[in-house]
Amino acid sequence: MSRIIVITSGKGGVGKTTCTANLGMALAQRGHKVAVVDADFGLRNLDLLLGLENRIVYTAVEVLAGECRLEQALVRDKRQPNLVLLPAAQNRTKDSVSPDQMKKLVNALTKVFSYILIDSPAGIEMGFQNAIAPAKEALVVTTPEISAVRDADRIVGLLEANGIRNAHLIINRIKPAMVAQDKMMSVKDVQEILAIPLIGVIPDDEKVIVSTNRGEPLVLAAEASQRGLAGQALQNIVRRLEGETVPFLDLTPPADDFLARLRRLFRPTE
Amino acid sequence: MNSDSSLPSLSTSSSPAPDEQMPSDEGRDVPQVRLKGEGGRLLLLLPPELDTPSAPNTWTEVCRQLQQRLMAGERFWQPHTPVHLMTRDRLLDGRQLQTIADTLTDAQLILKRVYTNRRQTAVAATMAGFSVEQQPIAQLSVTQSNPPPEGKALVEPLYIQSTVRSGVEIRHPGTVVVLGDVNPGGSIVAEGDVLVWGTLRGLAQAGSAGNGLCLIMALRLEPTQIRIADFVARAPEAPAQYQPEVAYVSEGGIRIVRAADFSRDRPI
Repeated sequence: MSRIIVITSGKGGVGKTTCTANLGMALAQRGHKVAVVDADFGLRNLDLLLGLENRIVYTAVEVLAGECRLEQALVRDKRQPNLVLLPAAQNRTKDSVSPDQMKKLVNALTKVFSYILIDSPAGIEMGFQNAIAPAKEALVVTTPEISAVRDADRIVGLLEANGIRNAHLIINRIKPAMVAQDKMMSVKDVQEILAIPLIGVIPDDEKVIVSTNRGEPLVLAAEASQRGLAGQALQNIVRRLEGETVPFLDLTPPADDFLARLRRLFRPTE
Repeated sequence: MNSDSSLPSLSTSSSPAPDEQMPSDEGRDVPQVRLKGEGGRLLLLLPPELDTPSAPNTWTEVCRQLQQRLMAGERFWQPHTPVHLMTRDRLLDGRQLQTIADTLTDAQLILKRVYTNRRQTAVAATMAGFSVEQQPIAQLSVTQSNPPPEGKALVEPLYIQSTVRSGVEIRHPGTVVVLGDVNPGGSIVAEGDVLVWGTLRGLAQAGSAGNGLCLIMALRLEPTQIRIADFVARAPEAPAQYQPEVAYVSEGGIRIVRAADFSRDRPI
């Protein structure tokens, strides 16, 4: 039975696509056959983050129009052959696809892939409806800001209303030092409002920006030091998705001592 | 010590400043989907099709409300309880009826019978294989499409066991009890009292039809705004410690007291 998971947030720019790319890659690294589906028609990004932009020939729209077969539109990742991308069309809008069509597409994918991750667009309009229509589970991404949390709250409500009750929370881009100074919402503050189970806390990390610009998901990096805490957190999310109990990363702000900071960074048990 | 003095007072206004004007009542009275137990069966009452800009009662909205009500009240009926659908004046086609039946099935309820006073709906329901009763609205004791404006008793309380999240508005012509939190961006509009067994962070309006004796109470009262009858109040600065509190109207404004002191001190 394959798992169909939508990654959504309501607010834009909180890290949905980054999460989708990294979680998809990490799942594939663990030996699962994974399809990541870009549901952001008209503003597609997932191909960029995966570095697959220049290999797109057909998109989901052509599949639906019957102009190509589904297999032809799937872009296989060369670095990780377990991972394929179903790209969205860039020259269309969200209204060019219907929830029923999305269901049909994704259901066809379930025959081959054990994980299907759907990258939802921001907002709660048609694009969002399309993205959640086939999903059985959801990962709600938020940052510790009131606007993002407010939108995530709305999203959780809409997911419930659409029968998706299996939703987990990812808190992205947290800055432990700011939380310690009481300048940023803490994980607990966010959880108190959203009241859904937490599956991961990803610290803010410049490495994410670098990896995004290069089109190489963070979890692909060979060295643990290159993946950083953010990469580690993403890998932990995948393990938790698979039912493992993994303790949350210790994100208490590092002591001023440089050595202590280094030690924390390289601690293998994290 | 006066129990009120230890609590920060709310800024109240009996005649709200222009920017605090109560929103227009248009849409406030638009009824929502209701589930009502009666004689061992459940009545599912659909709101009439009134499309006001502030409270669209579109089919999607009706579906959402139905889902939400079913989810929030699960404990109050046994599996396989028969449901009688009261569509009143609302036109439903076969597919919509089937959607309702499927939604009910998901909640382990059975759609037994459809009551309608629209011929088209009756035909659609018959075609879809439901038993149908078509009759004028006046003969249905439970459907009060035009309740008398005065001397009306409140309907039974609405019990919601779920978090009322941002973007959700619960309207009910009676008291609303929420077992859960009301989050910022969510709102409760009740003609009776509002009781929140949890944290009230959103908007609550009690006595929305004008009854100033209605109350708002919550285990943790940190609302965006509260309204009772025609009074509006913003929440004060966050107190150091939250305790169960009650908001009521007194001397032309909304006051808040600790629940423990409420019944003792309130002049009836």
